[in-house]
Amino acid sequence: MKPRTSPYENAMNVSRALRGGIPGTFLWPAAYSPLLLVLAASVATGLLIVLIFRYTSDQKAIRRAKDQLQAQLLAVRLFQDQLRVVLRAYPRIVVGTLRYVRLTLVSTAVMLVPVILGMVQLDRYLGWTPLVPGRAFLVKVRVAAPEALQSVDLRLPSGLSRTATPVRIPAENEVVWRVTAEREGRYQADVVVDGQRFSKEVIVANGLARISAARWRGHFWRRLLESGEAALPQGAPVEAISITYLPRTLDLAFAEWNWIIVFFLASMAWALLFKKLLRIEI
Amino acid sequence: MRTRAKAGGWTTGRRRLALVLLLLGVVFAALPAHGYAGPGAGFAVLSSFWTLFLAFFYSLYAVLSWPFRQLYRLVRYRNAYKNARFPRVVILGFDGMDPELAERYMREGRLPHLAKLREQGTFRRLRTTSPPISPVAWSTFQTGCNPGKHNIYDFLARDLGSYLPLLSSAQVKGPRRRLRIGRYSVPLGKPRISLLRRARPFWHWLGERGIFCSILRVPVTFPPEKFPGVLLSGMCVPDLKGSQGTFCFHTTRAGSNGRCEGGVRIPFQREDGLLRSYIPGPDDPLREAPGKELRVGFTVRPDAARGHAEIETDSRRFTLRIGEYSEWIPVKFKAPLGFSAHGICRFNLRQLEPEVEVYVTPVNIDPQRPDLPISHPLTYSTYLAKLLGPYSTLGLAEDTWGLNEEVLDDGTFLAQCYGNHADRERMLFDALEKTRRGVCVCVFDTTDRVQHMFWRYLEPEHPAPGRNPKDSGPDVIGDLYQRMDALVGRVQEQLGENSLLLVVSDHGFKSFTRGVNLNSWLRQNGYLAMKSGAELGGEWLQGVDWSRTRAYTLGLNGLYLNLEGRERHGIVKAGAESAALKQELRRKIDGLADPPSGRVAITGVFDRDSIYAGPYAGNAPDLIIGYGEGYRASWSAVTGKVTDQVFENNTRAWSGDHCVDPRLVPGVLFSNQKIAEEKPGIVDVAPTILHLFGLPLPAHMDGRPWKVEPQGPA
Repeated sequence: MKPRTSPYENAMNVSRALRGGIPGTFLWPAAYSPLLLVLAASVATGLLIVLIFRYTSDQKAIRRAKDQLQAQLLAVRLFQDQLRVVLRAYPRIVVGTLRYVRLTLVSTAVMLVPVILGMVQLDRYLGWTPLVPGRAFLVKVRVAAPEALQSVDLRLPSGLSRTATPVRIPAENEVVWRVTAEREGRYQADVVVDGQRFSKEVIVANGLARISAARWRGHFWRRLLESGEAALPQGAPVEAISITYLPRTLDLAFAEWNWIIVFFLASMAWALLFKKLLRIEI
Repeated sequence: MRTRAKAGGWTTGRRRLALVLLLLGVVFAALPAHGYAGPGAGFAVLSSFWTLFLAFFYSLYAVLSWPFRQLYRLVRYRNAYKNARFPRVVILGFDGMDPELAERYMREGRLPHLAKLREQGTFRRLRTTSPPISPVAWSTFQTGCNPGKHNIYDFLARDLGSYLPLLSSAQVKGPRRRLRIGRYSVPLGKPRISLLRRARPFWHWLGERGIFCSILRVPVTFPPEKFPGVLLSGMCVPDLKGSQGTFCFHTTRAGSNGRCEGGVRIPFQREDGLLRSYIPGPDDPLREAPGKELRVGFTVRPDAARGHAEIETDSRRFTLRIGEYSEWIPVKFKAPLGFSAHGICRFNLRQLEPEVEVYVTPVNIDPQRPDLPISHPLTYSTYLAKLLGPYSTLGLAEDTWGLNEEVLDDGTFLAQCYGNHADRERMLFDALEKTRRGVCVCVFDTTDRVQHMFWRYLEPEHPAPGRNPKDSGPDVIGDLYQRMDALVGRVQEQLGENSLLLVVSDHGFKSFTRGVNLNSWLRQNGYLAMKSGAELGGEWLQGVDWSRTRAYTLGLNGLYLNLEGRERHGIVKAGAESAALKQELRRKIDGLADPPSGRVAITGVFDRDSIYAGPYAGNAPDLIIGYGEGYRASWSAVTGKVTDQVFENNTRAWSGDHCVDPRLVPGVLFSNQKIAEEKPGIVDVAPTILHLFGLPLPAHMDGRPWKVEPQGPA
């Protein structure tokens, strides 16, 4: 029976194909350093954030709401000996904050979509380190039914080889292979169950590469956020195929950082700068 | 129609629901996955919740520490309000409210709230100071001292070396040290600003005893002094240029550039249907020598067909109709090396045809980020601006020169006055809310400015109206008094039982139809001499031969002897010679008659030695001139010009005045309580307030406390 593909899957596949091609053009900073890529992306994100705020919010109302909030804060400071003033200021601050949040809600919501999608794409490159020749890694396959555990097989292309017998974990419906790569390359490992073949991309490289750590069946949001590959067909006996890539960290200021933290801080800093330069209220 | 609307609404509703669900999905599904909420959400969340966090922290601190602070206050101040006759005293200062006009309008039933105060509480004429000028009288109001102790005798004082005028209330100097870097001279430190008023205001004494005071716009409080309370400075706060208010008037009219009194005229530059001009700002802080001003450019795109123009500054773009004011526009004057000055101003489109004309108010110090201190604490002006929006900070906020120079018309000037007045009212009511116990003082200048500029409407024979059509209605001053009365009514509604309300004015008002130039009189009578060949009419005593001059005038009411050892080129010996000269001048000037009508132009000449006492009496003018009703120092005299005419008609819009004999212009005193004093003076206000809160009176105070008998709420 030919596996069924939903309209969502089709849309995801098209989007994936587009996303696979476009980033390569814009990722030239990564040739120098992943940190440079993070910083370049944070500039674009910072600018995007303030522009979205500029065009989707009532700037005057935001300015007024912020002023009112700050006035109440100053009132607490200026009249701190007067308990009555302080007690009256606090509910006003809460109401003012809620008013401010309401005014920024639409902008925040609009902003989240492109920013999240952009970050998902960046995470393909910055979230994981490619495999290294000679260093073992694991290929994990989770099947839908426990009966399939015994019939699962892994077929590796030239350049990849198993280094141990597979371990079957019935409690997890999972089979794990230890594999080693002989040289750098982009490989397709095939998982065969009951005569059906499901492939999974394996990246062995030195440097930055677009990595998909897992291939899923179903799990729309998880695939949107974590996977870079087409979904496994609906009704397939395999639920997920994953590779144990090592998480990537950035060396900065004598410490190792998750790229998201660096990106978060840098894009906020850029947004603050652009906000000032473009005179945009946030 | 209804069905379609319903269907449309349903579709929109579904779309919205789908959008909300999608967004919620994105947000919630994203959260577990590496905190994908990302910087965007973080940015918004941080902005709001940081504020909330700060607020919470502050409030918690304030609430938790309140008992300890109260305990500290209890120990330190031993219950400051224990001996207070009234827990709260509210003083409304109506600058220049005239008792005769108030009585007239009360008789006509137009001032019901003030009339009620008169009936149930007190109404008296309030003795003013000599001279009866606002900075002098309000300094006496706040210190309880005669000018000999607070050192303010006029708006202007004189430099003893150069005979040039100086601002009497404050001195602003550059920073003490500078660093020269190439062609720049970088200031190291802030400008040095000093208050020249001496003696302590009564709110300092109260604050020291733990009694809270909110002080709004009382004149001669710039720079603000530290005390335990809040204060917003008033009259004498400069504009960003450092002047007492310099408007600018931009026009396409040919040959109209240059200075005019109180402002500058700047021609527009035409460029493809666009008009370009600039707002002049402060001097470049990186130049030691003054003269190179900073500027902010703006453009005007006139649309005569639609009757409006689009104006664009570096911070805003807005459209104005003819006669309309813009909101307060922030302007930033940028100097090299990152130096800048922040101001606010308002634009008014005067006309589009045949010429385009735009008026810009003096650039006020921005209250949200003041470059000079205009409040205490420094953040109080920011607090008010955040709460109420930007407001005028200039001491003389109403641009009387704009109307005098016919750059503004009556209606536009009034709109400016009442715009500022509305801001002041909002500040007052906020201060009343914050000052449930203690003292709240707020001075309103509108009464003074409107009477100065519209007195001509009260007198059909006034020489001014000929040039100024009555386009603002016939009863501007009556309307003004009614507005002030309504304000009193609203304040009374806010006051609880046992509050004392005082409504005071620093002086009254009289007509100003004829100007007197005493320098010209001194020259004609041999007391002042010009250098050989010097032309008459130069400003600030230009061309005066000091080696042959025995007396001169400067400012509104002061006459000075050219005293040896005091003035740089003094020739009159101190002692018998100066005393004799003063006697001689008093004899000749007192009762000086105006030749055409024979009316007495000067009804009193007062020797400073008989009216002032204190450590600063030596800085006072030697003689104080008391002009008669209808007279005042002429426009040429106040700018130090020596002309060949002693008397001249006043044809300017500035048609009423109070710089006359103080006996002619007492102020008003209204109260909601009975005040027994029959002849109260403005000098008594400070000691009365201290007395009402049970404080001992400082020995140096000249005023005496009134006997106030509580009558319950008026």
